[in-house]
Amino acid sequence: MSARAGLRRGHVLCSLTRRGSGIGRVGVSSAQQQQRRLLNHFISRAPPLPETPPHNGVPDEPLSQPQAKSFTLAVKDNIATTTSSLPTTCGSAFLASHHSPFEATIVTQLRRRGGVLVGKTNLDEFGMGSHSVNSAFGPVAQKAKRSAGGSSGGSAVAVAEGEADVALGTDTGGSVRLPAAYTGTVGYKPSYGMLSRHGVVPYANSLDTVGLLARSVGAVAELVVGAGRLWAEHDPMDPTSLSAAARARCASVREGYQGGLPLPRDESSQSQSPSLGERYTQRHGSSTLARSHEAEKSPEAMVKGVRFGIPLEYNIEELDPCIRDAWAAAAERLRALGARIVPVSLPSTRHALSAYYVIAPAEASSNLAKYDGVRYGSVRADSDEDDSKTTTDAADGGVLYAATRGHGFGEEVKRRILLGSYTLSSEAMDNYFLQAQKVRRLVRRDFDRVFALENPLHEPEAFSLSDLPDTVAMENKFGPTEVDFLLCPTAPTLAPLLENVMAQRSPVDAYMNDVFTVPASLAGLPAISIPMEVAAEKEEGVSAVAGLQLIGQFWDDARLLAVAGAVSDILKAVPTVEGR
Amino acid sequence: MTRISTSELRRYLLSGQIGRQGCQRVLRAPLVPRPAPAAVGHTRRFLNTTTTTATTTTTTASPVTAHEPLRKQLKEQAKALKASGKKKKKNSDNQTVPGWELTVGIEIHAQLNTARKLFSPAATSFNDHPNSHVALFDVAMPGSQPVFQPATLVPAVRAALALNCTIQPVSRFDRKHYFHWDQPAGYQITQYYEPFARNGRIVLNARDGIAAEDGDRIEVGIQQVQLEQDTAKTTAQPGDVQWLDFNRVGVPLIEIITRPQMHHPATAAALVRKIQMLLTSVDACVSGMEAGGLRADVNVSVRRTGDLAQGLGTRTEIKNLSSFKAVEDAIIAERDRQIALLDAGGVVLGETRGWSLGSTETRRLRGKEGEVDYRYMPDPDLGPVVIGAPLVKHLAESLGMLPDAEIDQLMEQHGLSSKDALSLMLLDNGARVQYYYNVLDQLDRLLGSTSTDETGHALLAANWCLHELGKLTDSPSDLRMTADGECSVSSVGLATILSHLYKREITAKVAKDLLWGVFRTEISPDGITQAIESEGLWFKELRDDEYADLADCVIEGEDKVLKEFARFKEGKSRAYPQGKLMFLVGKMMRAGPEERMDPASAERVMKARLDEVYLPGLEAAQ
Repeated sequence: MSARAGLRRGHVLCSLTRRGSGIGRVGVSSAQQQQRRLLNHFISRAPPLPETPPHNGVPDEPLSQPQAKSFTLAVKDNIATTTSSLPTTCGSAFLASHHSPFEATIVTQLRRRGGVLVGKTNLDEFGMGSHSVNSAFGPVAQKAKRSAGGSSGGSAVAVAEGEADVALGTDTGGSVRLPAAYTGTVGYKPSYGMLSRHGVVPYANSLDTVGLLARSVGAVAELVVGAGRLWAEHDPMDPTSLSAAARARCASVREGYQGGLPLPRDESSQSQSPSLGERYTQRHGSSTLARSHEAEKSPEAMVKGVRFGIPLEYNIEELDPCIRDAWAAAAERLRALGARIVPVSLPSTRHALSAYYVIAPAEASSNLAKYDGVRYGSVRADSDEDDSKTTTDAADGGVLYAATRGHGFGEEVKRRILLGSYTLSSEAMDNYFLQAQKVRRLVRRDFDRVFALENPLHEPEAFSLSDLPDTVAMENKFGPTEVDFLLCPTAPTLAPLLENVMAQRSPVDAYMNDVFTVPASLAGLPAISIPMEVAAEKEEGVSAVAGLQLIGQFWDDARLLAVAGAVSDILKAVPTVEGR
Repeated sequence: MTRISTSELRRYLLSGQIGRQGCQRVLRAPLVPRPAPAAVGHTRRFLNTTTTTATTTTTTASPVTAHEPLRKQLKEQAKALKASGKKKKKNSDNQTVPGWELTVGIEIHAQLNTARKLFSPAATSFNDHPNSHVALFDVAMPGSQPVFQPATLVPAVRAALALNCTIQPVSRFDRKHYFHWDQPAGYQITQYYEPFARNGRIVLNARDGIAAEDGDRIEVGIQQVQLEQDTAKTTAQPGDVQWLDFNRVGVPLIEIITRPQMHHPATAAALVRKIQMLLTSVDACVSGMEAGGLRADVNVSVRRTGDLAQGLGTRTEIKNLSSFKAVEDAIIAERDRQIALLDAGGVVLGETRGWSLGSTETRRLRGKEGEVDYRYMPDPDLGPVVIGAPLVKHLAESLGMLPDAEIDQLMEQHGLSSKDALSLMLLDNGARVQYYYNVLDQLDRLLGSTSTDETGHALLAANWCLHELGKLTDSPSDLRMTADGECSVSSVGLATILSHLYKREITAKVAKDLLWGVFRTEISPDGITQAIESEGLWFKELRDDEYADLADCVIEGEDKVLKEFARFKEGKSRAYPQGKLMFLVGKMMRAGPEERMDPASAERVMKARLDEVYLPGLEAAQ
């Protein structure tokens, strides 16, 4: 992090360089601690570490690889940890005292790579929210009393405040990217199935991904595609974790995965297309991005020739003008450096948010059915009008569970359970859940159509040009230009003041914040939010920062991280807009 | 103090019977090894055990726990009888109601014979220490995920093939939501939208016990077969306390859904019986209905005959029937209730009803308004199940002989009656017929014959395996029959006894005593011949002249009887007075040394004496 970036945030803490100073909790004054406590970003903190070399963080397990340099790690509290001082509460009263008997795979993986747990971060209950205010442990705040975003708000603040070098979040519809955008950090959501979800308390399984937050893209890239090679590890405990064979197949048609994976014989022989890779080379000639990761190219050289799509549908009415300006300026800057900026159309975008808010609550209502007071939470018989019925006819009347669940869940969770229960009910299923699944397919098709790379999980589809809106320019007679990445804002607005969030008339207003992040979640694509300075009035000396989102084709995470790192450096080096 | 077996006690206390050996013998005799409580007999298995021996196909385990307590059964029976105030009609006379047509469809749940649970590597178990085989996913630990165990497909596909289903190349899992404490996740994972097998059929023959109205044979369609999870076992404790055993949660089940194509109660019961037999014969099922491994829900509707245009009537579902008799009785009762309701101008409501053993009426569990909306949703954690054609082909080829073919063989080649053949197949969940084969093999060996064409000794073996063995105990489970066809009376032991009997070296009575001795472990199976020798039990039959002397003694003073024979001989009566003959033979048996007599020989000699000496004498006297 450059001194300049620290200054730009205008926050004295940010100027403290955490990198290279070992554990990031040295030299923090008690006043600063006091101030941080007000942020309420941790639910529980790990006890202070003894002054020993940090590889003791994983005392019981032999290290499978040479010990990388250690880093501090904050973990969102819906990811299971076994340390006795760190329960796994999910921000819910139901699990306030829940100590998981097992550790999430991703936590084990990161500890093996030098991660030292500093604490469990606050979140919206079970990950449901966009401002991290729906927690049984109170709302999260960031500096200047603004929303930290949600639901991984605690993790984002922990990273922004320098208390963790890397924080784990979960991203279901933008829950890592949105807090990253609000707090000026980097938030990465991997391709669905790349990082293990075993030990992640599910919100909506088909959308949930484990995401990483850090202050730089490099820190994330190092763990996922660099020496960390998280991308290569299949977890047999997670049925949605891509098998080793599928990983090898996907990686074989992608760039930037150093070392690769041996392609199993049977897989390669029946692989739908060894031609996929050939097709890529045919179509693109000699790739400008070849070995971009290992070659230490300058950021400018990295973006040269890269095609960035600007989704026309993302230029919505609700988009804050200052963010629209910064987005345009960033695109202009990249064009000036030799990138191609291509307007693209994703026609299904306008239905994506609705589809998301049907699918996610439906799955949530199912996942949360287990919290009934029998095993989690306490039975609330006292609040029932008819106590005798509670005991005699609990199963039929549902009285036993109704009281317990009504008391144990927060308002937002109850709202989504009711919503999900309705959309799955036999009379509403066809009109809501099934329609939403169709929209989900259309969203994925939209992405597959604009990306130059094919989606390795699906057979290539033929698209009719007549389906395209007139606004899309044709590259040639075969169709419009295909792109490498999509470039768009992460959220339509800047981080709002917490008091405004709390005063929001309709809880549904908050759903709007997910409009740009939800499509990539529905399609299972990798996406990353990087900080982008915007021209807005400074408040308490804080200049406004928004998130710029890059979305890539499935399993194109390596290139996405490499290019996002370059774009991030470019945006930092030259301010895109001058303050007004 | 010596303990008396519970079956013995029960017989004494409830029926006032004392075992034929007398109470003194019972006390002195070495104890019949009691069936060990399952939990004791097993080595304890742990979670995620890697041994393949973890398969618990404990057919030997006592099924007693699965039964309703006897006292409760009797009480309910008495109550029901009192309530009805009339004697029930015999079921076989009660298959139809004039003017009405009954339609029945059945859903059968069967526990699959697998080593692991459906979505966790925890071992499946039966009557093990409670909560000893539970993985994190089984109790829905937050953050745990299902991991499909592909080995569960083997018995599932076998079952579906035995039901003539088409195996679907791709099937999927769905979540069925409802709240109950025996359901830790708040949903059951099942296959609602895309089951793994569809469009089967099952043929029921007259010998399977279908209603006479259905004729010789009827075919019932199987709509689908789906894989799903079992729930935890609830044990009610005094004072509103329920104990939960999560060993059963997540155990793989198949649900077999028939088409509504049965129209008679007996046929429905026959279907359930036949499905159990099929599942057992292809080794797909852990235990039968009597042990709680199979449960049936029946859907019942009625409509007036000739009212075909109207479609089926409103159906009700009767849940959780746990015996074949309950299936038939419940259907009859529900049919009669619906008809009475419609006759009185009422309407049948689509609702779920229950049935308790021995009652005469079904009872309402919940109505439509209380119906649970299961909110089926594809499970987002689980991918599709892809079943390859080679697997299906392999399993189809290794399916073995199906019960119908086996019964045909038993009838045609072994000379068994259809009733006996069916009983052999059904008893001990398929183990009895295996035992019969073992005995027959040994008997063939001992008699030095290899052909089973000579049905004489096959029939003998079948009779003893079924009837004489059955007389030893009250409950077949006391025989401790194993799946490979061995029991308390080893097959060699029974075959040895039968070989002597077949060769007429011992009498049937001695053979029965020997069987009893082997069962009580007083005689070891390889010491049978020695025991006959030392106890002097060989059959030293009377010579014919000795028989003749006895006959002469007996006939003395039976002039009236002799006249009957004379009347026949003179053509005055048309039927040979066989009864009179047997009367004389019986007298003969009582008069002579029974252990040296064979009733057949006695009959032969008596008849000869009558024909050759007495009747001519009588004629001469006239």
